[in-house]
Amino acid sequence: MNEPLFIFRGIEKSFAENEILRKVDLSLYPAKCILLSGKNGSGKTTLLKIVAGLEKPDGAEIEYAGKTNSWKKAIRSIRKEIIYLHQQPFLFSGNVESNVAYGLRFTSLNRKQRRESVIKALEWSRLSDLAKIQANSLSGGVQQRVAFTRAWILKPKVLLLDEPMSNMDQESREQAFFLLCRMKSAGMSIVITSHVPQYFDGLADVQFHLSNGKLVQSELSACNDSP
Amino acid sequence: MNGLLLTTQQALQLLLSGDAELWSIVMLSFSVSLKAILITTPFALLVAFALNHGNFPGRRIILAFFNSLLSVPTVVIGLFLYVMLTRQGPFGDLRLLFTQSAMVIGQMILCFPLLVALGYAAIQASDRRVWETSRTLGAPTWFTILTVFYEVRFGLLAAVLTGFGRIISEVGISMMVGGNIMGYTRNITTAIALETSKGEFAQGIALGIVLLALAFLLTALLSYLQGSKELTA
Repeated sequence: MNEPLFIFRGIEKSFAENEILRKVDLSLYPAKCILLSGKNGSGKTTLLKIVAGLEKPDGAEIEYAGKTNSWKKAIRSIRKEIIYLHQQPFLFSGNVESNVAYGLRFTSLNRKQRRESVIKALEWSRLSDLAKIQANSLSGGVQQRVAFTRAWILKPKVLLLDEPMSNMDQESREQAFFLLCRMKSAGMSIVITSHVPQYFDGLADVQFHLSNGKLVQSELSACNDSP
Repeated sequence: MNGLLLTTQQALQLLLSGDAELWSIVMLSFSVSLKAILITTPFALLVAFALNHGNFPGRRIILAFFNSLLSVPTVVIGLFLYVMLTRQGPFGDLRLLFTQSAMVIGQMILCFPLLVALGYAAIQASDRRVWETSRTLGAPTWFTILTVFYEVRFGLLAAVLTGFGRIISEVGISMMVGGNIMGYTRNITTAIALETSKGEFAQGIALGIVLLALAFLLTALLSYLQGSKELTA
């Protein structure tokens, strides 16, 4: 197995008196997919948001590039490498193209390069025909694909997906699965939460179950990179 | 009844004939109130945003404070500002009393809590995912704030229009710190008060018609924005 990209150690989080995460450790490897399961309210989303830098933990450390720092200090450097996708993605007002291009304005690409990247990304996700359609008018499954494309175009090292297929029909699930496999093949580390692990058979390498604030691990099969 | 009809007819004639004195009063009103709303809006919306997304002690108390300021009478704000700006007051050296600047400051004080309260309500209605999505896609804080504002733009615009309607129709502040000086600080509401006290109703009614037209226009705009918001929801 390759060297891990990031190692999160001792993640702790409580809401009021309720201890959601108890010294949770999580290592993220390139081109590997982790499946995270657990009951509603077990802390899966909280864990992903802490890893993405969107939620502050009570305590945590991050090891990367051979150094270990506190979560607060390290997350500033690595948050651009990690993208979190909501269960129901939020698409900004505007068309599909402008949504996909959103994060590119914070990169060093110039206008022409950004435009080329968007065209390639839309082709990659087979959304070119919908480029000028208002994003909010699309079905849930297509919106999720737009969100995948919006994340993929930024080439993050880690992609965190919260119940990505919960509101999709069979066809949308197959398309989403295909895109996720391509992302993984491109070297992205993927973490997925799901109540239905079967959706990710062939994609996930490792499964963790979150219960009573602790992660318990079990092995899964390898990824099949086909639609 | 005939007298009222005659006066209204005279008022309409004044308006339509382009009476210079009357229209200069209207222009001054708009100039002062537009300056006040334009200066206040960015600060008020940032405060509204901070109260919404911030997690600091006393947040609820500050919000309650702004809400309580909504019911302060305009003459009380005028009196407070008068005491501050009078020669013997702490800001007397600035010589701002009976100037348009004093009127702008007074109207800013009046609309600030209103914009904070309405802005807070508009931002609160926004989806938390806007903030999180923008941040996770690498946007800096300032751009994320602009993104949130853009996503709730109809609510924020409604807040600004309501604030503008409030300050252009106030009389207490303009009278007390403006002084109702013809051609300099006389605006629509202070002119109506003066003309009515003199028994000359034609100009007062003409100016009242302008205010009423503005009120209808703002209400129509608010209804339109409400419709747009529902369509995009």
